[in-house]
Amino acid sequence: MINAYILIHISPGNTDKIINQLRKIENIAKISVVAGEYDIVARVQVKSLERLLKTTDKIQMIKGVSKTTTQVIEKEITL
Amino acid sequence: MKIRKKYLLYVLAFSSAILAALLSGIDVVIGQFLKNPLILGLSIFYFGFLMAIIFTGFFSISYKGKSIGERTIDPSFKKIRFPKKVEIKYHILSGAGNAIFTIGYFWLLILIKDPSLVLPFSQVVILYLVIIESITEKNTPTLIEIQSSVIVTLGAILGSISLSGTISLESLVIVFLVINPGWALQSIYQRKIKMMKINNRPNDSLNIRLWNVAFACLFTMVFVIIYDFYSGSNNFIESLYAIINQFGWLSLVGIGTFFSYIFYIRALGIGKASVTQAVKSSVIIFTIPVSIVLAYFGYINPISTDPALIIIRFSGIVLMLLGIISFALTLTKAYIFIKMKPGYPIEKTMQKIWDIKGVNRVTAVAGDYDFIVKIHTRTLVKGYERILRKIESIEGIKEYKWQSVLKEWENI
Repeated sequence: MINAYILIHISPGNTDKIINQLRKIENIAKISVVAGEYDIVARVQVKSLERLLKTTDKIQMIKGVSKTTTQVIEKEITL
Repeated sequence: MKIRKKYLLYVLAFSSAILAALLSGIDVVIGQFLKNPLILGLSIFYFGFLMAIIFTGFFSISYKGKSIGERTIDPSFKKIRFPKKVEIKYHILSGAGNAIFTIGYFWLLILIKDPSLVLPFSQVVILYLVIIESITEKNTPTLIEIQSSVIVTLGAILGSISLSGTISLESLVIVFLVINPGWALQSIYQRKIKMMKINNRPNDSLNIRLWNVAFACLFTMVFVIIYDFYSGSNNFIESLYAIINQFGWLSLVGIGTFFSYIFYIRALGIGKASVTQAVKSSVIIFTIPVSIVLAYFGYINPISTDPALIIIRFSGIVLMLLGIISFALTLTKAYIFIKMKPGYPIEKTMQKIWDIKGVNRVTAVAGDYDFIVKIHTRTLVKGYERILRKIESIEGIKEYKWQSVLKEWENI
């Protein structure tokens, strides 16, 4: 399993539409709307790097998404 | 399907509460026939275990490559299985908690009879949970947590003032030393089991429930046999008779309890134990109609219509609701993205970040940043005082960005 965070920049005025599109993508485990440098942080869980590419592709195809940055998780400590 | 995480938590916890209220009514009815809490508790555990096996077995049936349970109840469920070695320690503790809680609960129910008086008392557990969480989950309680749990506790005490105006010492001892510690023990360790990864996927609530009841049943059985041996009573034999005599009621309780717990455990996996418990506290409202029905059919003494007592109970309930709502709504979350200077050890820094209170998750990532940290805090002021200042003091951090979470969806 590969886990990654995808940090998403969007153009203003599209938040709700983009979230609805994101919610339809299967491999996204969590979507957080954030205030700060980015607009949306999505957590993705995929079987392979190829699937990760497909998922980021799907996100970039959404109208209004202007830039994505993918951060692949190497190690994790959690409650 | 993705729904707002917060709503899912409420739906699950409320369903669990409504079921629990209905069950408390049935418990009173069975209590008319089985007047000893040990016999009542043990015979209910037999059925609880039986129903858990039957349902978990049923949900294991595969249909088009996915089991029924995986499709309907819990996406992480595969099929019925034995507990793993790592889980057993926690199952023993949470099973013992369940056994203690159940016996205490029936003891009190037989003593007081009216479920709308007994259940509010079990809500005091929220105080215990806040204290335990502050020790185990690296989370110092904030003013709001202390306030809310005190309000809920006071509300519970007010709401449970007996309509004849009396509270006995025996029932207070049962409430504070038996029921609530037992329930807290069970909640904490069940959450630990739920957070574990089994075969690389999240743990499922069906198997957790099955083995929790199995261990609780075993504990109660051993306790009753030892008690019988020393006191010369024969509760164990009588509990076996109860299986035949009260088959209908007991199996109904078995089925209902199973589902009430499944919802509760699912909710526990989503929210903090104290928040989940807060929502589940609404059970006290749902027990009022149950008590009225019971009084109507003559199982318990008629409900008093004295306006003073009604006002006291009403204020108690309003207090509890206020406490519950402020608990659930004041949690804020944030991400911190961290960049490191070259030449500092990743593992050590990760541990240093993890040691900060309020940090829920630390991930080392490849990309623009080196760490992504998830924060849970009750107030933003605390976020700065307790978290950012500590992060700033960690050596090697070049740059960090705080991103407050405004809304969140989770795949269920």
